[in-house]
Amino acid sequence: MLKCSDMKKTIGGRRILDSANLTVEAGKLSLLIGPSGSGKSTLLRALALLDLPDSGTISFDGRDYKFPLSDKQAPPKPWPGITAVFQQLFLWPHLTLRQNITLPITLRYREERTEQLNEFIEMFSMKDFIDRYPNEASLGQRQRVALVRAFMLKPEFILLDEITSSLDVEQTAIILSYLQKLKQAGIGILAITHLLHFAEEAADVIYFMDQGTIVEHGDPSILLQPKNERLQKFLSVVKQAS
Amino acid sequence: MTPLDILIKYQHALSEGLIVTFRLALIIWTVGIVCGSLVGALSSRWPLAVGFPARTVSFILSGVPVLVFLFWLHYPLQGMLGVVIDPFFTAAATLSIINVFAVSDIIRTVLNEFPQQYLVAAKVCGIEPLQAMLYIQLPIVLRQAIPSVLTLQVNMLQGTLFASLISVGEVFRVAQQINSQIYRPVEIYTALGLLFLCICLPMNGIALWLKSRYTRDFSER
Repeated sequence: MLKCSDMKKTIGGRRILDSANLTVEAGKLSLLIGPSGSGKSTLLRALALLDLPDSGTISFDGRDYKFPLSDKQAPPKPWPGITAVFQQLFLWPHLTLRQNITLPITLRYREERTEQLNEFIEMFSMKDFIDRYPNEASLGQRQRVALVRAFMLKPEFILLDEITSSLDVEQTAIILSYLQKLKQAGIGILAITHLLHFAEEAADVIYFMDQGTIVEHGDPSILLQPKNERLQKFLSVVKQAS
Repeated sequence: MTPLDILIKYQHALSEGLIVTFRLALIIWTVGIVCGSLVGALSSRWPLAVGFPARTVSFILSGVPVLVFLFWLHYPLQGMLGVVIDPFFTAAATLSIINVFAVSDIIRTVLNEFPQQYLVAAKVCGIEPLQAMLYIQLPIVLRQAIPSVLTLQVNMLQGTLFASLISVGEVFRVAQQINSQIYRPVEIYTALGLLFLCICLPMNGIALWLKSRYTRDFSER
C-alpha cells in the first residue's frame, strides 16, 4: 500500500498541498481528478518521493516516512518500485525510443527483456517508429514509449500524470485495457485524468482534489451522486464543456 | 619563386617552426580543455563560490586584447617580480589562461542549460545518480559542448602566432625571418596562409561534422 497522510507543501508562499490524504492500494486503479491548479501533479510528485512534502507521512513497503525528515534520516529512494510517467514525458533525446525503454532495464537489472519489449511493441503498435529519436516522433508516440518504459520496470506502484492526453481513442483504449492487466497483476495505479467516462467505468477509487486537499473520495458512484458542493460544481462544468 | 617553392626550399626551418607552434598549441589545448572543463563543472555546481569568480575573471579577460595580456605578462609582470621566464612558457601560460576561461564558459553554459527533468526521469526508472551522469547527462552535455570547444581550439591555434611578438620561434616568426633574408612577403605569407589552411580547415571540418552529427535539434514536436 502507498499512502500519504496529512501532507502539506508550500511553494513560493502558496500552500499547494493542504492536509492531503490518499491511499493507493495494490491491485487497484485509483484516479485523481480535479480542476487545473488544484495540486494534483504536486501530490503525485510527492507520492513518488521526488518533491518531498513539508510535513505529513508517506507509507510505502511497510515503512512510514515522516516529514520533515530528521537530519540523520536518509531520503527514501523507492524507485523503480514506485515509478511515474509525467505529462512532459522526459524521454532522453540522445537515445532512440527503443534505447529509452531498454537503458533503465540494462543498467538496473543487467537484462534485455527483449521478448517482453517485443510484446509491448506489438501491443502498442510501435514497430514503425521504435528506432526513431524522440524529436522524430509525435507526442502520442512518445507517450506510448514513456508508458512502456515504466511498464517494463515491473513496478509495485505506478503513478501516471495525464498520460493519455495526446492519444487517439484507439490508443487510449489499448492503454486503459493494459492498466486493467497491471491491476490484475497486483500493481497499484494512481492516475491523474480528465477522462470522466473512463473514471466512471474503470476506477476502483476516485479522489477529487481541490485547493490542495482531497475533498471527496469513494467508488465511481461519487461521480453520479456527488456529496460535496465543489465536486458537484466541477462535474457540471466538465459536463457543460463536453 | 612561388609559395610552393618557398615551402619546399625552407621546409626544414618551417617544420621546426611548426613543431614549436604545435608544442605550444598542445599545452594550450590540454590545459585549457582539462582545467576549463573542471572550472566549468565546478562553476555550475557552486555558482557563488566558484562560478561568480570564474565569470568575473572571464569577463575581465574578454575586455583585454590577447596581445596586451601577453605583453603585460612578459614585460611588466616579470619586471615587477624580478624574474625572467622563457617566452615560450609565457606565451603558453597567457593563451592557456584565456583558453581555460573560454572553455569553462562553454561547459558552464551547457551544464546550466541541461534539463534536470531528464535526471528525474532516470531517478524514477531506478537509475543510480552515477549511471545517470555517465549514460544520460554526460553524452548530452558532450554533444552540446564539443563543436564549440573544437572551434575555440582552432582559434587558439591561430592565437599562437602572437607568441612570435615575444620572440618565440614558432612558424610565424620563422616566416618573418625568411622574409627578412629574401624579402618576398607575398609568396612567404601566402605560403604561411596555405600551411594554416591545411591545418585549420580539417579541424574546422571535424567541428562542423561533429556538430551536424551529434548536436541534433532535440526540440520535440
